[in-house]
Amino acid sequence: MSKRAIDGSDFAQMALLGADLLKRNAEKVNALNVFPVPDGDTGTNMNLTMTSGITELKNKQSAHLGKTAEALSKGLLMGARGNSGVILSQLFRGFSKSLAHVEEATAMDVAVALQHGVDMAYKAVVKPVEGTILTVAKEAARHAVQFARRNTEVLELMEEVYAKANEALQKTPDLLPVLKQVGVVDSGGQGLVFIYEGFVQALSGAKVELGNDDAALEAAPAEVKVAKLTEPSSAQAKLETLDIEFFYDMEFFIKRNVSGKSAVVFDESAYKKALSKDGDSILVITDDDIIKVHVHSRKPGDVFNLSVRYGELTDIHILNMREQHRELLEEEGLSSEVNLAAAELLAGQAIDNRPAEHGFERAPYGMIAVALGDGVAELFRSSDVDVVLSGGQTMNPSTEDFVKAIDGLSAEHIFIFPNNSNIILAAEQAAQLTERPVTIIPTKTIPQGIAAVLAFKEDETPERNKEWMVSAASMVISGQVTKAVRDTSIDGVEITEGHYIGLKEKSIVTSEAELLAACQALLASMLEDEGDIVTILTGEGSTEDTTSAICEWISENYSDLEIDLQNGGQPLYPYVFAVE
Amino acid sequence: MSKVRIVTDSTADIPADVREKYGITMISLKVLFGEETYLDAVDLTTEEFYSRLKASPVLPKTSQPSPADFLDVYERLLAEDPTAPIVSIHLASVLSGTYQSATIAKSMVEIEGADIRVIDSCSASFGHGMQVVLAAQMAENGASADDIVAATAQRQKNTGIYFLVDTLDYLQKGGRIGKAAAMIGSLLNIKPILSLEPNGTVTAVDKARGSKKAMAKIVELLKQSFGNDELALVVAKTDDEATTNELRDRLTAELNIKEIYYTTVGTVIGTYTGPGTSAVFLYKV
Repeated sequence: MSKRAIDGSDFAQMALLGADLLKRNAEKVNALNVFPVPDGDTGTNMNLTMTSGITELKNKQSAHLGKTAEALSKGLLMGARGNSGVILSQLFRGFSKSLAHVEEATAMDVAVALQHGVDMAYKAVVKPVEGTILTVAKEAARHAVQFARRNTEVLELMEEVYAKANEALQKTPDLLPVLKQVGVVDSGGQGLVFIYEGFVQALSGAKVELGNDDAALEAAPAEVKVAKLTEPSSAQAKLETLDIEFFYDMEFFIKRNVSGKSAVVFDESAYKKALSKDGDSILVITDDDIIKVHVHSRKPGDVFNLSVRYGELTDIHILNMREQHRELLEEEGLSSEVNLAAAELLAGQAIDNRPAEHGFERAPYGMIAVALGDGVAELFRSSDVDVVLSGGQTMNPSTEDFVKAIDGLSAEHIFIFPNNSNIILAAEQAAQLTERPVTIIPTKTIPQGIAAVLAFKEDETPERNKEWMVSAASMVISGQVTKAVRDTSIDGVEITEGHYIGLKEKSIVTSEAELLAACQALLASMLEDEGDIVTILTGEGSTEDTTSAICEWISENYSDLEIDLQNGGQPLYPYVFAVE
Repeated sequence: MSKVRIVTDSTADIPADVREKYGITMISLKVLFGEETYLDAVDLTTEEFYSRLKASPVLPKTSQPSPADFLDVYERLLAEDPTAPIVSIHLASVLSGTYQSATIAKSMVEIEGADIRVIDSCSASFGHGMQVVLAAQMAENGASADDIVAATAQRQKNTGIYFLVDTLDYLQKGGRIGKAAAMIGSLLNIKPILSLEPNGTVTAVDKARGSKKAMAKIVELLKQSFGNDELALVVAKTDDEATTNELRDRLTAELNIKEIYYTTVGTVIGTYTGPGTSAVFLYKV
């Protein structure tokens, strides 16, 4: 099949097949994680990012190439998870900007767009690392521009792009020593190669029916079987509109009738607790005779019944956020600005932006932390963190999750603690998408996050707070114990699948068949330079016997050390340690 | 001119022998465990008090002396020598109504020419006590009431006070938490580093994970304010000598400490700070 130009429908097919191939190979990509730890899965993150892009694309289908690409880019941007997901979203952001006004793209247009994407991604990443998805995209785009000078076939161009990307992928271990050490290629780069492969298949004539979930398709020329495209539409629909669980955004004031004999005593913390049973994004500001309430709830009636006990309700505003969101999905051809405003509407930002009334002001600071495990989430909440996002096993929070959390907070300045190196970029991207002042404290572990949160001082400026928090995070030594998911050798440690490995910061320092032995070896390494207090977060897979054995061992060998034992409840990591 | 008489209340946590040595007149606050009432620094030993405090299901209550208690003391002292000025120094008015009672008592004194100065120490425990001791030493040497009042105010300004509590529960339940309130509720082993604001309000100047970190921070803060100055250190203990001693050792190792004195956090202050409290008071010598 010969094609000298591609339009919106062609591009939609390319994206769909690219996403599909990525989805079916997500596990393969996951298996390329450098560390044999069972989370931080690049394949899953990229797949979720791409799925978000596809959902947006389906909603805004157009024969106009620029509009189709923009829709994909928009969805990718909001759904971006993990570092590779964020970079992927930037690649397509540059790509779509370059083609914004192009109805049908020639090979040269596509090549130039790919190059634009690379430029955009390199700009977005603070410290670009070669030997990653960035290098793969860069090599492919450079080659594409050269190739397009002599050739006008889009299919041939994409075949070249795919081949060159694959070639660059195979060379990533030469650029990034850690890949060579482990004997894998870069996982993010591999994900991109799958997407490009899908592009080639689509241009070769393979098809996925838009909106037809059960379509099983043959990709004749490339002889690749394209599997059913099932989940994306339904799962995404869920993720989008129905995922707004507490969807009535409510704001009102309670006028306290202080002199009246019937006035019920207002207990702010009890009231908040009652609201939180079926709501989130709760904000209660109490003044002498008036209380400002903001809450997202499923049952507005219950909220009013509860509140009216304390006084007369006034200045009531309710917004159905699902309705807002549906309307948003139905609208076509929105400009990027409008689209971003949509995300703000989602989280009730429009209401928060109303001028302050009754002299109420926003809280000076808000804090958002990502946590793994109920216990850890509770530790953060008890330490004045307003929103705890779940950084579950492989589900890193997306850019959109951060944007929602930011916009749901009524605070002048917001601090975000990603607590995982793979989440920092998504948080940074979210900070750029909102006009609110946001500071990312680039914490890479839960212990760093806890130390940073505790360094917060409400009376101080954001700049000084950042300084203290970053410094506090740098003072803590983090350790984690988990099970190796494959045999390998790294940092000079021989690792057997199923054994317990101990990570001190980013390096593996021990691998032991027994959990206790692994904990002891890890702690011994963490305590080389001594310390004052060790925090133990027990997670899934920990046992009381092991925990008390660890505590005893610490007391025997490090008698001066204080121990703070906490139930973290984190999955996959039986123990997380912090030495300070 | 007659020697100035020094009056204080029991929350100054001045050891009995020091009070006797300088002839300081003390009026006790009261501690109430249910129906039982005890006079602070008189009826209960601190050991008895802290073991009861830990065992008690409800927090004991404290009560300030009545104006009549002060009036009795002022009238007795004036009867001994009507021309002797009285300097009466008390627990920070932001923490207790003791100062208020003393002020009312002063206005009730109907003795011609009586010179009574009721002073808000703006401090607590030995931060208050050291002002009293200084006043008594000056009185002993014949200083005037004006000079004494000025000197105590100066001492208040130049004293470094830090205290460590085992838990914030007691400060919270007793309503004396001031700006330390932000730390409540954290599940983590957080030790606030407490101090007093210039008016005596309890404030958390910083916080740390665990008491060792907290002690290190206290040392750091004191180094910043005093550098290599020659200092007197007063250590106030409760029932946990180990922590207090460790704090003292860290201070003596890092600061230029010339004199060390010891006292105990008494029952009234202890009701609000709880068992396991350590306090240090430092001033230049």
